[in-house]
Amino acid sequence: MTVLTAIMVGVIFAVSVYLMTGHELKGVCMGVFLLGHGANLAIISSSRSPLGKLPPVLADGVNLADLVDPLPQALILTAIVIGFAVQAFLLTLLVLTWRRSRTLEMGDLAIEESY
Amino acid sequence: MNNHLIILFVLLPMGAGIATLLLHRWPAIQRAIGGLVLTANVVLAVIALGTVSGWFASGSQDDAGRILVSQMGNWPAPFGITIAVDGLSAIMLAVESIVCLAVFIYCVSQLPHRFSGGYFHPLYHLLMLGVQWSFITGDLFNLFVAFEIMLMASYAMFCVGTTAAQMRQAYKYILLNLVGSTLFVTCAGMLYGQLGTLNMADITRIGMAGQLPRAAVPVVVMLLIVFGLKTAIFPLWYWLPETYHTLPAAIGGLFAGLLTKVGAYAMIRVFVMMFGKAVWLDASGNVIAYPVNDVVVPVLLVVAGITMFLGVLGAVSMHTVRRILSIHIISQVGYMVMGIGIAMAAGAHSQELALAGAIFFIIHNMVVKCCLFLCGGLMVEHAGDDHLDRIGGLLRRAPWLATLFLIAALSLAGLPPLSGFFGKFVLIREGFSGGFFLVSILAIATSLLTLLSMLKIWSYGFWSTPQGRHVTHPDERPRTAGGIGAIALLVVFAMSMGFGAQHYVGVTTAAARTIVDPSPYVRAVLGPQHVPVIQTAQRATQTHAQLATADKHAGGSR
Repeated sequence: MTVLTAIMVGVIFAVSVYLMTGHELKGVCMGVFLLGHGANLAIISSSRSPLGKLPPVLADGVNLADLVDPLPQALILTAIVIGFAVQAFLLTLLVLTWRRSRTLEMGDLAIEESY
Repeated sequence: MNNHLIILFVLLPMGAGIATLLLHRWPAIQRAIGGLVLTANVVLAVIALGTVSGWFASGSQDDAGRILVSQMGNWPAPFGITIAVDGLSAIMLAVESIVCLAVFIYCVSQLPHRFSGGYFHPLYHLLMLGVQWSFITGDLFNLFVAFEIMLMASYAMFCVGTTAAQMRQAYKYILLNLVGSTLFVTCAGMLYGQLGTLNMADITRIGMAGQLPRAAVPVVVMLLIVFGLKTAIFPLWYWLPETYHTLPAAIGGLFAGLLTKVGAYAMIRVFVMMFGKAVWLDASGNVIAYPVNDVVVPVLLVVAGITMFLGVLGAVSMHTVRRILSIHIISQVGYMVMGIGIAMAAGAHSQELALAGAIFFIIHNMVVKCCLFLCGGLMVEHAGDDHLDRIGGLLRRAPWLATLFLIAALSLAGLPPLSGFFGKFVLIREGFSGGFFLVSILAIATSLLTLLSMLKIWSYGFWSTPQGRHVTHPDERPRTAGGIGAIALLVVFAMSMGFGAQHYVGVTTAAARTIVDPSPYVRAVLGPQHVPVIQTAQRATQTHAQLATADKHAGGSR
């Protein structure tokens, strides 16, 4: 399970880095979003393999050692919320850029030259 | 000492942010709220600093007793969220609140409405919320959340009233910081997987007890990349000179004064306090290695030298005021990193004094750098441009601005008796006595080149023959009273740091003491039963150092 997660994290990071090296702003932004998801997956794996464990719900007669560590899930929840905000912001910025300069190619955006 | 009022450092800007957002159609009320909240913030921060430093007779005499701690929801320490104000946090809060007040005065009196009206105010307060939260949080994950809030506000500020050309730079800033944040949250998660806690005091305790797992070290070193990106140190600096100069001068000043310094603060908190005393022990309990220090110190010192020197070379080569000042931020960050590196080096002559120098330098730089940006803004108001070839003769035109600029510039370059001198003096002296000759020599060279680049602005902007809009349109007189007032506030503060350096260094030394030896912090947060084990050999050297300083003090007073 952990090995599988590790491979998936690796693949997601690789894809997002590939996307981020592109010239097209939409692709770059998608790469950043994907990177966030990869990070979330990496964090969830820090609660160790969930195989054979119970969901973290306290009830009578439950041995605490049998429960999955709930904290990484709480961390991810926070990270997802923040990620949503950032995505919304970046998408707004993309729309704004398109309206202003009619292009989303990084190279075509105007450069300010004055040193 | 438990004091739940410290949550006000988060609640005040948050409340102001929400209120000004709802009232975005009424700029006058927004300004009133802003002024009131920022002033209250300064007062609170100074009271907090006084309590932590023991200025009040009724306070506790013990370092641990003076640290202000509040456990959110009253959950006991490693399980709940801790916020704590120790010496370092209090100093940063006090200086940050004064800088914020000055920039606010400048913004509302100088900036055009498209910047300073409507949504500018909520962003300003939320930025402060992020900065202050990162200063007081006692939890690594909360540090990430605070960074995110601060950055989110700064992204939006970047885009308020930008031109299409500046948009391109905004993307660079936003995307790079997002990658940095993702790395941070990954590191925090993996560290939790290794240590089972995210509480700073608890992590410190684990490290000092010699229980830091081997696999945690690479994760910690990865954090260096995260904070390095925020602080703009050598290989990770490239985003800064491209982006800051596109901002209006006042917002550039705010970012220059706060954002990179939050990175430096996080470096001190994480590397010096949390992992600086992390040890590995052999079977009989002797220290065999400082796992984090051994890796981080050489990196920090090399990077510090390169950062400060290349940064200042960049500044000398630039020809617009804002570009010179932006690239200068990098060079100054080099000094801070140098101080942190020396403070971490095991066996250094005096870790405490080196860190005190670094903290002093950080607060000096927050004030002076911000002040210079504001001066740059007023130069543009007068001359209509900030390219050095197209401005000039401002000495006659704006004598007050010229005076204030000269004081701030010489202070940045480090001429005695101004504040920069004492920061650099402590750092360079500790560098030489610790045996770090190369970086110390680079620091002196950088200092000279800093003077050169500042004199460049001075001679082109103020001394040369008059040219610019104030010559072609001599009747246009910009209103600069509010801006001059804001700059004067910062300059007076910077001068007090120079002439009263003894007192300021005293306060920073007290703060550095609880960072270099974090056991009071651990006791204050986790409770008195968790007294971290300091290894005997180490304690012996510490006692020697203390005796030596005590001797010196006694000798001096006789």
